[in-house]
Amino acid sequence: MKRMWLIAPLVLVMLAAACTNKTSGSQSSGSPSGVVHLTMWMGYTQPPPVSQSYEYLSLDSLVKEFNKEHPNIQISVQYVNSDYALQKATVALQGNKQPDISYQYGTNMPQLAGAPKLVNLTKMVQEPGFNWNDFFPGERDVATVGGKVLGVPALVDNLAVVYNKTLFAKAGITPPTSSWTWSDLMADAAKVNDPSNKIFGLAFPADGSETTVWEYEAMLWEAGGDILNSTNTKAIFNSPAGVRALTTLQQMAQAKDLYLDFHPDAGKSEELFNSGKIGMIITGPWDLSSFPNAHYGVQFMPSFDPGGSHQTIAGPDNWVIFNNGPARVAAAWEFLKWFTATPQLLKDSMATGHLPTRASVETQPGFSQFGVKYPGEGTYAENLHNVLKARPQIPQYPRVSQALGQAIVNVLLGKGAPQQELNAAAQQATGFLAVPQ
Amino acid sequence: MQARKVLQSDHVTGWALAFPAVFLIVIFGIVPIIWSAILSFQRTNLIAPPVWVGLENYRALPKDPLFKTSVAHSIVYTVLFVPVSVAGGLFTAVALNRKIRGVRFYRTAVFVPVVVSTIATAIMFLWLFDPNFGLANWLLGKVGLGPYGFFDSVNGALYSIVGMTVWGWIGFDVIIYLAALQGIPQELVEAAEIDGAGKWGLFRSVTVPLLGPATLFLVVWSTINALQLFDEVYFLTHGGPGTATYVVVFYLYNLAFSQGIAGYAAAMAYVLFAAILALTVVQLLIGKRTVYYAS
Amino acid sequence: MTDRPIAATAHEVEHVRKRERRFLFSPWHLVLIPIAIAMLIPLVWMLVTSVQTLNETRQYPPTLVPHSIQWHNYSDVLRLAPFGRWFLNTTIVTVTVVIGNLLFCSLAGYAFARIKFFGREVVFVLVLATLMIPFQVVMIPTFLIVRRLGLIDTLGALIVPNLAGAFGIFLLRQFFRTLPVELEEAARIDGASRIGVLFKIVLPLSGPALATLAVITFLWTWNDFLWPLITIYSPSNYTLQLGLTTFQGAHATITNLLMAANVMSMIPVLLLFFVAQRYFIRGIATTGLKG
Repeated sequence: MKRMWLIAPLVLVMLAAACTNKTSGSQSSGSPSGVVHLTMWMGYTQPPPVSQSYEYLSLDSLVKEFNKEHPNIQISVQYVNSDYALQKATVALQGNKQPDISYQYGTNMPQLAGAPKLVNLTKMVQEPGFNWNDFFPGERDVATVGGKVLGVPALVDNLAVVYNKTLFAKAGITPPTSSWTWSDLMADAAKVNDPSNKIFGLAFPADGSETTVWEYEAMLWEAGGDILNSTNTKAIFNSPAGVRALTTLQQMAQAKDLYLDFHPDAGKSEELFNSGKIGMIITGPWDLSSFPNAHYGVQFMPSFDPGGSHQTIAGPDNWVIFNNGPARVAAAWEFLKWFTATPQLLKDSMATGHLPTRASVETQPGFSQFGVKYPGEGTYAENLHNVLKARPQIPQYPRVSQALGQAIVNVLLGKGAPQQELNAAAQQATGFLAVPQ
Repeated sequence: MQARKVLQSDHVTGWALAFPAVFLIVIFGIVPIIWSAILSFQRTNLIAPPVWVGLENYRALPKDPLFKTSVAHSIVYTVLFVPVSVAGGLFTAVALNRKIRGVRFYRTAVFVPVVVSTIATAIMFLWLFDPNFGLANWLLGKVGLGPYGFFDSVNGALYSIVGMTVWGWIGFDVIIYLAALQGIPQELVEAAEIDGAGKWGLFRSVTVPLLGPATLFLVVWSTINALQLFDEVYFLTHGGPGTATYVVVFYLYNLAFSQGIAGYAAAMAYVLFAAILALTVVQLLIGKRTVYYAS
Repeated sequence: MTDRPIAATAHEVEHVRKRERRFLFSPWHLVLIPIAIAMLIPLVWMLVTSVQTLNETRQYPPTLVPHSIQWHNYSDVLRLAPFGRWFLNTTIVTVTVVIGNLLFCSLAGYAFARIKFFGREVVFVLVLATLMIPFQVVMIPTFLIVRRLGLIDTLGALIVPNLAGAFGIFLLRQFFRTLPVELEEAARIDGASRIGVLFKIVLPLSGPALATLAVITFLWTWNDFLWPLITIYSPSNYTLQLGLTTFQGAHATITNLLMAANVMSMIPVLLLFFVAQRYFIRGIATTGLKG
């Protein structure tokens, strides 16, 4: 009886270890004449989710097509939730279990940049026929850290204003035109805002995270300002342009036309918009599928002055290559070249509603139906030409963002005035820039 | 004869019995802790090769205003959470320790929050306590109170988290106390009743002292966990609104994984570790004097 | 203690019946019902969400009454995701870890509770120290150790590091100390070894504590997410929690299916708890004291 106690768990442990299959071959470098097996991490879930099905199916069919046409390079796709891709890659790199290709958020690039096993693509993207400059400037800026190209654009989006046509009609407002201004938006928000029915004019994320900051940054650029100076040594968002942008938000908050969303990750603003409780929301194309019950329209961000800039911000993501030996790196590059070429991108955009990462896709005849098949996305695709700048791809950016985010939230909560808050945040941010990371 | 005495000695037996568990814990618990101490003397983002910086990270801590804010919040949270959840667990366990119809159902119901995932709990609480659309303010409005900001209010967010975590963890305290209540000998209860003790007197002079070991366990355990509060802040408030719910582990997690400042985060974790260790030792020493064990 | 005569008068029988009836409709219900409702609200929300259509889940404020009941969400989850595989993996890992903890923590807990051995207090504090540092800080070194053992991407990675935990040791040490030491001393005088005393005297009296340890260890292992996330790569080795992330797409979460999967993954733990209740019966502890 006593011995059972000791034997049973040992048996179970051995059973368990034996029962499981270890992955084989993920670290073998593959012989030059044999088949090279590559692992690719991506974050699109398999069906049944209706809105996501198309993304997985499109990627899956493209990979299958490549595998068929290239018998000596076989890609196997592995689902890794994109929110955890950096963490998982960090741990994997430490244990030499990294994949060959991985999907990574653009904001992860400065951290990944220091990885010895991350492949430097600078020379490869200059190969004739690859047309690196065909990718939009905002994307190329995000894929480049410290002068080195470290990723190939995988997905691009941008921010625009999504408005509820029903609420606008009820309030007697004409829908916004592409030349509208912030004064127009403020007036619209005031008219839609209806406290007695708990309807808000504009939703704005107020948790101080990057979600807050990047919406403000689009406004900062429109007003003519910049986040950092050209050498990334000083924070300059406390310029008059920065104050102007923040004051606009402050005025709307004071007029109580804003829905301050302190939990933007929970999707509350989207659900409220879908339920007809919010007039306008600044968001990207990924959210359109969250509005099945709302009649929505999409318009460029308004400018500050009539005829002024409608600049917006994009959050591109990248495919990166990890070095598992020269044969696999070469094979991975072969795949990515093909996978991000214009014909494949066109297929993907038409199948999924993804905005095209290359400008040449928009001129393809097959693209003409894009805006029809995906209502609202047409405007987002045009808006890509309004993406002129990118956030600084430096390791200190998250700390800079945190300081700026706190300043914005303080102003929205009425705890401070725009100039003072921005000054304090700029001072803090400049301090962070001086600290090596 | 001598050899057998040695083999039977308490020291050998004690070590023999404790060895398997201690061995596992040393390899998978202590060694990683020591390994990560090295991190605290480096500047690293866990990806690029690290740079040795000595005590620089530790020296930076007292100068960091957000660290001080986080420490204050962690302390306030712990001071509120531990007594409320332990005392609440005790009273609820006593209520559940009786043969009434459906007691199994009630006990399972109280345990459900412990089982529900933090994500589901966070979504639920965000809705219930939404200042504009939530059930809580609607009910409070009916009796003329509110509306309150709860998780959206700078002053109320930390207390709202206390409420939510008490709700989420009280079942744990209940299950421990229920098990402990089974160990109270019937004779003692009956003897006290014969002596004329009322329900409250019985509770105070028999039940509570005999639950000493369980209470010590729960106080130590709850303190260790409360000072390391993370999940609820991460899924619900993200440290906000503003920095109203910034706690130490949330801050260091952000530093390490969002900002790539893992060395400094490790130093912060070690300062927290030292504080928790000291506090636990103090609690155990107090327990040695005041807790009554049946032997 | 003199025995009462078994034969009772009709009056006494009726008196006892009245008291029993009062038991069944005790005023405690008035306290317990509101508490139970407060505790169950999220479960209700999860159940409701799990049978809604996806569009319904995008409403705010959430609708607590679904327009239609989509029972097929449950069969969808089972059919379209390798739920059975995840369930099997999680069960193997969890059951092994629970048995391991029950065994190793009993041995160690008893040693810390009753045997004075060299360095006992220091080692005990060392064991507790493993609870005092957040897992995110130590997860990389732990990963490297497990990798050295060749366990990455096997269920062994989820089992071996968790076979004995500080929680179990601390809990059982406290509980063993509440048992009357006279019983153990009597057995030792009769020639029983320490292990004999543990298995024949102490453990049989520790039903509630062991049941508690089993349920809590089961719960934590079943719900563990971060460690499986970084050690498991192959989908065939996924645990339930890891599998649930596949319902969180790149941009939006499939809330209704996620909740259906969540509900299904909660059932084993709740079932175990309901069943383990029979170990929370008063009476086991008292039998040892008479005579």
